[in-house]
Amino acid sequence: MVTWPKEYGGRGLDLIQWLIFEEEYYRAEAPTRVNQNGVFLLGPTLMEFGTHEQKSKFLNAMATGDHIWAQGWSEPGAGSDMAAIRTTAVLEDDHYKINGQKTWSSRAAYADWTFGLFRTDLDSERHRGLSFILVPLNLPGITVRPIPQLDGEPGFAEIYFDDVKVPVENLLGGDGEGWKIAMATAGFERGLMLRSPARFQQTASKLLELYLANQDHCSPMIQAKVVEAWSQSESYALSIYHTASKMLAGGSIGSESSLGKIFWSELDHMMHQTALKILGASAELSQESKNDAAKWIKGFMFSYAGPIYAGTNEIQKNIIAERLLGLPR
Amino acid sequence: MNFIFTEEQIQFKDAIKSFLAEECAPASIRDGWQKNKSFNLERWKNLIELGVLSSNLPEKKGGLGMDQVTLALMVEEMGYAGLPEPVAEQIFLVNDVIPFLPKNVTEAVESNFNDGTQYIALAHPLAPNPLFLNDAAGLILLDNSECKFIAKNDMDFEIISSNDPSRELFKVSSMNDAISTSKNFDELNSAVSSRGSLMTAALLIGLAQKMVDLSSIYVLDRTQFGKPIGSFQAVKHMLADVAVKIEFAKPAVYRAAYSLSENNPKSALHCAHAKLMCAQAAELACKNSIQAHGAMGYTWEMDLHIYMRKAWSMMACWGNEDKQLELIFKTLSSTSEELGVLYTF
Ligand SMILES: Cc1cc2nc3c(=O)[nH]c(=O)nc-3n(C[C@H](O)[C@H](O)[C@H](O)COP(=O)(O)OP(=O)(O)OC[C@H]3O[C@@H](n4cnc5c(N)ncnc54)[C@H](O)[C@@H]3O)c2cc1C
Repeated sequence: MVTWPKEYGGRGLDLIQWLIFEEEYYRAEAPTRVNQNGVFLLGPTLMEFGTHEQKSKFLNAMATGDHIWAQGWSEPGAGSDMAAIRTTAVLEDDHYKINGQKTWSSRAAYADWTFGLFRTDLDSERHRGLSFILVPLNLPGITVRPIPQLDGEPGFAEIYFDDVKVPVENLLGGDGEGWKIAMATAGFERGLMLRSPARFQQTASKLLELYLANQDHCSPMIQAKVVEAWSQSESYALSIYHTASKMLAGGSIGSESSLGKIFWSELDHMMHQTALKILGASAELSQESKNDAAKWIKGFMFSYAGPIYAGTNEIQKNIIAERLLGLPR
Repeated sequence: MNFIFTEEQIQFKDAIKSFLAEECAPASIRDGWQKNKSFNLERWKNLIELGVLSSNLPEKKGGLGMDQVTLALMVEEMGYAGLPEPVAEQIFLVNDVIPFLPKNVTEAVESNFNDGTQYIALAHPLAPNPLFLNDAAGLILLDNSECKFIAKNDMDFEIISSNDPSRELFKVSSMNDAISTSKNFDELNSAVSSRGSLMTAALLIGLAQKMVDLSSIYVLDRTQFGKPIGSFQAVKHMLADVAVKIEFAKPAVYRAAYSLSENNPKSALHCAHAKLMCAQAAELACKNSIQAHGAMGYTWEMDLHIYMRKAWSMMACWGNEDKQLELIFKTLSSTSEELGVLYTF
């Protein structure tokens, strides 16, 4: 909320100041923020597209942590191909009646709300006829089924909707404008907001520390990887500072966020892979042990998710080739 | 804090870009190859007129007092155009190190280059064969803890051929008279090495961008299976991979340049970082660009190799990837508490 206006519970600071805050946050090894979907994704989207009433209702509650948010884009038949969404929301008087299923919804197992895309025009196809709706997860007709992730924890969940009635006030933007708004949200996810550089710089520092403590039994190959980890996380930070400055000067980020998404997710994986190589045989210990092996292993497993979520890296490469390099679809 | 370029910086970059697009087309580079004379005196003179060669000399010496960030932006464009003349070398390795040269060497250099417009070559263990010695007024030689200046008439030299025909390399076979000193050598040596890394980094990023641009044009044009090959995902992804590498190599160049302009004690580290990132980006650009061109990419006829050859040379000299990795590691392992998350700047 560092960058949010004060009236909504933020600090009213600029992006550069936010980056500085993030540096301190990660250096202190503070925990993952439970409401990051809300604060970093829905928050900025609401500020751009929300009505006055929506902003006052949701932003403060999000800032205080009273509303924990999940995001609901994906469906069993709509992963990379998000425009294949089939869950419907039919307008009846003063509410939408929702039927269908969302999946892979992070934090939905314990969240209070979800935001997502629903098909409001039943005759529409693909990107048209989708709307962005905010749904309380405690409504009758909603069933949330947690899905254990690779680490065994129920990090994401399926959400089933069976004649769920949501008031029309919960529509964000216009009916049928959901795709456009969702693209803005997805841009926040790939771009700056969820992946502040401090996170990777901190991992690179830890990796260096780990290497220096164990270098006697490592080969030069590992050393090169450690240097690359530092170099790439520096580059990522420099690039984000540049982007933040551009945005402060009135610019915007578009498809460039796809470049960053690939870069940080591959970097994160490479760093954890390298850490495991340094750990040697202890790289299978999931209980507390020397060198924080268990922590590295957890991070290692999670680093496999980076190239998948927020739009897979293959999809990002398509975007780069088509929108930045001008290649045909 | 502000991390965008000033309008003036962008203007200089754009000015040199459009000049080189006109004056340094592939045909003119090939013409130099044909004639065994890649140093095009006319182009050099035009660049002098534009103020490029004296851009970073102090104003009292007729220069513009330009900072290293602007220089890096301009040098990137020289890479993009594959400019054969040693403009980047003169700016970064001679003009920019004058403050570090021993007094007697500075005097000798300055009496040989009026307003910084007469070319002075430089040799160093990381780039031991000076460029275009034939066209130079003299040579600054850094080796064995000594800095020498040798006027052109005081040495004999022979040409050695480079894999990049745009680079006429030389070897000094004997020198009759040289000014020589070992004063402040370490400081000078580190100033020169850092600038060598930064200069090659900036050139490489321009070269990498050129290769991606040439490839993007080619894959739109070339048709197979009834479609432009650029519509095939395997081809798209090869080029997207290069775009990612370039995107994250660039800011390392600008930071390194900024770091030099601020006399940051970590500038050597930052320059090594820039070179490492840019060399890796250019390496992938070469590999994937040839691949995207198919057999055409493997021909002498296609312009791609003009830029690829320069990139190979730039990767090799002024510290290759291996050397930079080593330098970065040495710094990281000795001062790790001042690096990392709180010390980007
Ligand atoms: C940890 C985690 C958290 C998540 N959190 C959320 C969440 O909170 N909310 C939410 O809505 N979703 C969430 N997701 C889902 C995520 O957005 C999807 O997994 C992602 O969009 C990919 O869809 P998919 O899993 O159906 O894979 P698929 O689309 O089936 O893709 C499988 C493979 O095929 C490739 N592929 C598919 N189409 C193409 C194409 N056109 N070109 C090239 N390759 C292609 C993909 O790149 C991938 O490698 C999360 C996923 C993970 C792993």
